[in-house]
Amino acid sequence: MSAIIEMDHLTHRFADGTVGLDGVTLEIEAGAFVVIAGANGSGKTTLLRHLNGLLLPTSGSVRVAGVCVQENPMKSRVLVGMVFQDADSQIVGETVRDDVAFGPENLRLDRVEIDRRVGEALSATGLIHLADKRPHLLSGGEKRRLAIAGILAMRPRVIVFDEPFANLDYPGVRQVLDQILQQHRAGCTIIVTTHDLEKVLAHADRLIFMREGRIEGDGPPPALIARAESFGVRHPRAVHLGVEALSWLN
Amino acid sequence: MAELTAFAYQPGVSILHRLDVRMKLALVAAASLISLRLDFPGIGLMALPLLSVAAGCRRSLRIQAGELRWIGLLLAFVFSARVLSTDGTTVLSVLALDITGEGLREGALVCLRLSLVFLVGTLLMATTRSTEIKTGVQWFLQPLPLVPAERVGTMLGLLVRFIPVIFEEVSRASDAQRARAVENRRNPLRRAVKLGIPIMSRVFERSDRLALAMEARCYSERRTQPSLRAALKDWVLFGLSCGWLVVLLAV
Ligand SMILES: Nc1ncnc2c1ncn2[C@@H]1O[C@H](COP(=O)(O)OP(=O)(O)OP(=O)(O)O)[C@@H](O)[C@H]1O
Ligand SMILES: [Mg+2]
Repeated sequence: MSAIIEMDHLTHRFADGTVGLDGVTLEIEAGAFVVIAGANGSGKTTLLRHLNGLLLPTSGSVRVAGVCVQENPMKSRVLVGMVFQDADSQIVGETVRDDVAFGPENLRLDRVEIDRRVGEALSATGLIHLADKRPHLLSGGEKRRLAIAGILAMRPRVIVFDEPFANLDYPGVRQVLDQILQQHRAGCTIIVTTHDLEKVLAHADRLIFMREGRIEGDGPPPALIARAESFGVRHPRAVHLGVEALSWLN
Repeated sequence: MAELTAFAYQPGVSILHRLDVRMKLALVAAASLISLRLDFPGIGLMALPLLSVAAGCRRSLRIQAGELRWIGLLLAFVFSARVLSTDGTTVLSVLALDITGEGLREGALVCLRLSLVFLVGTLLMATTRSTEIKTGVQWFLQPLPLVPAERVGTMLGLLVRFIPVIFEEVSRASDAQRARAVENRRNPLRRAVKLGIPIMSRVFERSDRLALAMEARCYSERRTQPSLRAALKDWVLFGLSCGWLVVLLAV
């Protein structure tokens, strides 16, 4: 398989001088399931925002499916769907249905196709009965699923989840996890950031540790997991049963 | 708290929700202009159907009234300015200020007119999505030469989209301060300043995040529009409303 995401010596310096990313070089294969872990402020969100041009590199480059993000951010946004860390700030539409339709409308699809995709995304995420509600009134878990539905309707090839389990109760975690796995099975490349490895690690085929804007660990989860706590990430206690045994879906 | 916003779109299926947006915009423009020249009987005639429609929009009038106290403040200011600046027969004299019968009448009239305009505006905002407003505005501007209709439509649509953000942040910030007993501070000016600064920064931050979220989902000026279609029903309602506005003008 070929790399769908290529980052080459990516560095990002914020306006106030903070170094968000420091020379990150990374390739991600199409169809992979990657977990990026690291303490607060280690640069996970900053890294993800380069994938669809919400932030542009200070130096270095990012390519998605061979297209340079700096040169063509629009194209990268079609390819990479992003579920934000804070689900509230992702809400754009005035009703649940409008919010899901927002992306497809921007892709200038015709009305029939938009309605079809919105219907599919809403039923896949179990939100169809809330379709005409104001999104700000949804619960935290519902908002997260709405954010996912909004991305699904755009049919991206890569879906990026920034802390998808934050603030969710147990059923909420399972629902979101289930969505993620479904998309992965459907062929999407999945990137998840978290500092709570326990919830996803069983399903990932690659684990990346970040610290201070650099990648300091990268490989298959069983090989890396022992070093988790040195990166400010809680070591999943049940790991001696085997990484697969961690799954929250069993 | 989000549901307490008078300016936010309220999903629904009332006649106003379903009326063609172009007609709605035309009616709103006409009604606002006309209400500025109505006299008391006309105002009553106009307010009645508007209020009944507003009540029909499933919105609690009490909540709405609570939110609109800021507008009340504005109206009170306009009222006192009118009362004090109109000459006529004095009915009451407080300190060195004469309050005239004409002044009271004038003040009340102006305030009622402004409230009508305001009511019409909130009805539009409550029943129309920002994307529809964009499409409607664009439709009206399209035939004009030299006017970038798409851009103006987008700007108005975005403006309408961002207004509820401001109000939500105001209520959030004031809740946060009330939770820390800001009411113990007596000086209203100090309180206003203490509230104003976080509100400003939060509004900017929220707007920034909203803009990012829109960008992340490929927002641009050119997007699939809601379809504009005027059915017979729309024309009937439009005709009736126009007739009613003409009657009002005649009163
Ligand atoms: N707009 C900004 N301006 C300046 N510094 C910023 C900005 N955004 C983030 N940073 C800094 O960049 C660093 C990386 O931030 P980032 O949000 O990527 O961390 P993170 O790994 O996503 O953390 P968390 O787990 O808390 O979400 C932090 O030190 C942060 O303070
Ligand atoms: Mg983050």
